[in-house]
Amino acid sequence: MKTKEARVREVLQDPTVERTPGIVTIRVWELPVRVLHWTVVAAVLVLAGTGYYIGNPYILVGSEPGFVMGLIRSIHLASAWVFSVAIICRIIWSFIGNRWSRWDQLVPVHRERRVWLWKTLGYYLFLRKEPPPAAGHNPLAGVTYLVVFVMFVVQIITGLALAALANPQGVLWSTTGWVFSLFAIQTVRLVHHLIMWLTIGFVIHHVYSAVLVDIEEKSGLVSSIFTGYKRLPIDRL
Amino acid sequence: MPAMETRERALGDRLAQFGVNRRTFLKYCATLTAVLALPARFTERVARALESVEKPSIIWLEFQDCAGDTESFLRSRNPGVGDLILDLLSVDYHETIMAAAGFQAEAAKEATIAKGGYIVVVEGSVPMGDGGVYCTIGGKTAIQILEEAAVGAAAIINVGTCSAYGGLPKAAPNPTRAVGVASVVSGVPIINLPGCPANADNITATLVHYLTFGSLPATDSKGRPLFAYGTRIHDACERRAHFDAGQFVLEWGDAGHKRGWCLYKMGCKGPSTFHNCPIIRWNEATSWPVGSGHGCVGCSEPDFWDTMTDFYVRLPKVTGFGAEATADKIGLGIAAATAVGFGAHGIAKAIQRRAGLGSEGPAPGSMEDDTDGSE
Repeated sequence: MKTKEARVREVLQDPTVERTPGIVTIRVWELPVRVLHWTVVAAVLVLAGTGYYIGNPYILVGSEPGFVMGLIRSIHLASAWVFSVAIICRIIWSFIGNRWSRWDQLVPVHRERRVWLWKTLGYYLFLRKEPPPAAGHNPLAGVTYLVVFVMFVVQIITGLALAALANPQGVLWSTTGWVFSLFAIQTVRLVHHLIMWLTIGFVIHHVYSAVLVDIEEKSGLVSSIFTGYKRLPIDRL
Repeated sequence: MPAMETRERALGDRLAQFGVNRRTFLKYCATLTAVLALPARFTERVARALESVEKPSIIWLEFQDCAGDTESFLRSRNPGVGDLILDLLSVDYHETIMAAAGFQAEAAKEATIAKGGYIVVVEGSVPMGDGGVYCTIGGKTAIQILEEAAVGAAAIINVGTCSAYGGLPKAAPNPTRAVGVASVVSGVPIINLPGCPANADNITATLVHYLTFGSLPATDSKGRPLFAYGTRIHDACERRAHFDAGQFVLEWGDAGHKRGWCLYKMGCKGPSTFHNCPIIRWNEATSWPVGSGHGCVGCSEPDFWDTMTDFYVRLPKVTGFGAEATADKIGLGIAAATAVGFGAHGIAKAIQRRAGLGSEGPAPGSMEDDTDGSE
């Protein structure tokens, strides 16, 4: 039985194993980032599924007694709290996490990232062949996530406000009731519904782009959100 | 003797004359106390106040309206006592029901305004466009009439959605620039009793609250009394259990409709509407829209009509996409367009990689070593 070190040494000395010079394996996504990412994924799937039913109850129930809508609404509300807490935690983490999870990866405050924003757009528009050099989010992805975060915050506020309608004397109402001083209830409902569809659109784009860039830059981008590690040329850090 | 006159006008002395016994009167007072969401012990106080109250003056102004709230008010529940309460009020000016006309009518109004301390009831929205020319009475615009009447008023009661928030005349494109009363006057206590029409029991109860306590009832952020608008229709609906169960009417007259199931899928706006319709009901408390099998249209909410149409679908339509479309059509469009767009993008990227457009040599992840990785 060999020790782990021995096995590693053996692999490193094996001439058939490719060891590209200048390539490093680096932990880009910390554990909280990965956990929060998958919490949000699970919550979004549950919320979109239950939310679509709430907007358009397609399960037809006969005359036997049941609690289908009640149950689905409970699941929706419970996952809404999970989602809200996860988003708040992620926003907090963007101030205390590593350099790739920070808020300035999303908000293009640095000139260099603004320049690369357009070059990244060029990559998607077939004007550039190579994906942009970025260990974390590329500048275009960062701006996309900024929009997504704004969408999510709007979704949380509108959702909690709609939930608060059932009890205008409650705590939830006193925190979110101001929404209805600005917008009609039906408008709030519509916005909440449309953001669900925009989120579905985002998910399609997000998965596609992750796979595309993974194939092109061979950085292990897709697996990095499970393991945290990316394999990158040293000059791209 | 003025005191004697007051006693003569007071309700208590006239009950027997109108064939209303004390028991009926107290029952009515108990009902009103319940409508006002007051504890039962207030019944006595309401009864005493109504028996002895001095005749308050009311000026009932109608602007851009259909007189529907007047019609509703004239059909108060329990005509025996309700009518007496109306009699108790000195309605000095009301275009629809007053006997006087023309200059005589305007003179009656001016005399009341000169006295002060009256209640102004407003029905209908106020057009602000083009100097207010779209609604003039006796040569004055609605804006002028309202401002004059507000000066000495003890309170303004807006009956109906139009005077409360602008209502139907405010619906897009709002050619007269109609607004609710609170956008025109300030400095006077204003209470909104929206509804299309306002519920007669809520109007009576608000007046009785004023007569009993000398103040208007507590309101929410939209100026509506909490006793009448503190709960959503959806949360007090007799069909709510069918909503929670997932039993919905899918078509007018289907089996679910006959069984009284939830009208949510037929576009009911009960989940977006605060009103006590399910509790106090209409037409002498016999029924109400959802009770009779039609969804709520949300008539008492601000921005009714625009945000509550279509009445028979759940969400407002979205404009600005060339034509109106439902949120789900647009949403599916977004999702489908994203999928198709990125699908095409993926194919194009693969072609670009195979065509080898690049001339700067193999980059990380270049095409040479990736022809088998496209699956």
